[in-house]
Amino acid sequence: MAGQKKVKRKPGVCVPWEEKLKELPEIKGDKELLKRVWEDIDGLGYVYIWQCLLSF
Amino acid sequence: MAKDMEQLYSDRMKRYVTAMRNEKPDMVPIRPFVAEFTAKYAGYTCQEVTHDYEKAFAAARKCAADFDWDAVVGNMVYVWTGLTEAIGTKYYAVPGIHIPADTGFQYLEPPEEKAFMKPEEYDQLIEDPTGFLFNVWLPRISADVSAIGEATSLRNNLSFLKGGMAMLDYFSAFGTQNERLRKESGTVSAISGILKAPFDIIADKLRGYLGLVTDVIERPEKVLAACEALVPHLTHVALSGADPDKNVPIGLWMHRGCVPFFSQDHFDKFFWPTLKPIIEEIWRHGHQVLFYAEGNWNAHLDSFAELPDGAIVYHVDKADIFEVHKKIGHKFCLSGGISNTLLSFGTADEVRENCKKVIEGVAQDGGYVLDAEAIMQNDAKVENIRAMTEAAREYGVY
Repeated sequence: MAGQKKVKRKPGVCVPWEEKLKELPEIKGDKELLKRVWEDIDGLGYVYIWQCLLSF
Repeated sequence: MAKDMEQLYSDRMKRYVTAMRNEKPDMVPIRPFVAEFTAKYAGYTCQEVTHDYEKAFAAARKCAADFDWDAVVGNMVYVWTGLTEAIGTKYYAVPGIHIPADTGFQYLEPPEEKAFMKPEEYDQLIEDPTGFLFNVWLPRISADVSAIGEATSLRNNLSFLKGGMAMLDYFSAFGTQNERLRKESGTVSAISGILKAPFDIIADKLRGYLGLVTDVIERPEKVLAACEALVPHLTHVALSGADPDKNVPIGLWMHRGCVPFFSQDHFDKFFWPTLKPIIEEIWRHGHQVLFYAEGNWNAHLDSFAELPDGAIVYHVDKADIFEVHKKIGHKFCLSGGISNTLLSFGTADEVRENCKKVIEGVAQDGGYVLDAEAIMQNDAKVENIRAMTEAAREYGVY
């Protein structure tokens, strides 16, 4: 994985919210809402790859 | 009618759960893991139920409606090859493509030199399992997914789009299927969630069996570290799919981590120390795990007996179920033990006698769920499945 940034990914996480947050401009609205929805949808990516491994 | 079905469902759920808690219900619950048998019974080919999951669901519902079974899996064929083909998965022989339309799908393990993970890649897996799966493993198991650094392609992009949408579609459809089983035939959905042992999954999908056999000798510390790195992820996946009502167990599909595929020392060093904490954590959350012990795991019953009473349901395949009952029957509910050979090649009378013997031998105090040794495919005879069901009801009433 040369060139890939090393990230300690926790279970349930592909791209941590903290990493995404750094890419965003200053949040003007509800940061928690953004975090929750990011993590919910990011978790689907996690389900995808682990179910590919375990179920299919 | 609907109320009757709800009562039937409630009675069956109570029977099934009581037995799995190693207690005595009103009668022995029947929970047959019928896979391609459902196709045979409903008039479909293996290709139809493997590639068109709606047909697989319909076949499962037909069996559930026609047989007096307490619990089934909504689709025990399970691998939907429509999904795996959309992803570009290389490791299946698909009925109707690579093998005859009425042969069950096959898993193809690559030769050792083409394993999906190379021996020098353990550190990458250990450092970041999820990243490794996306960046290294998936491009190798898919004909369409590009590896990091390779040119991307339309097929690469479509693999993720179609694969993701298809998986969501399939998993969502299970919810509807389970509701229909409940409402149309009063049948319980038998399991919820998936688990594999870290050591098993490294053999199954990463290094291959032969690769892992080499690794436990040449790089044992890497194997152990990789198993340990997988523990939190496999625990998370298992719990995320578990039954929120904590009635039915999470399925653990046990493959080649036992003697004689590996030695007792290897089991003690790699397999058990990295599976046991997962089971204990799942149990702390209030969920049972169904140990679907494919083959013969009797060399390891003492290890399994270390688990808390009731933490697992232990399914017996080729092992001697009477020996299993003697060693761990006081701690855990057992399932299985009915001969697939007799179901496929024996007579109805032989099947009845086999059921009677198993029920008399292991079910007298409850704690037994009737099922075949292994999943039932399209070689099982309809009259023998019927005989198994009738015998369970004849001999299994307390």
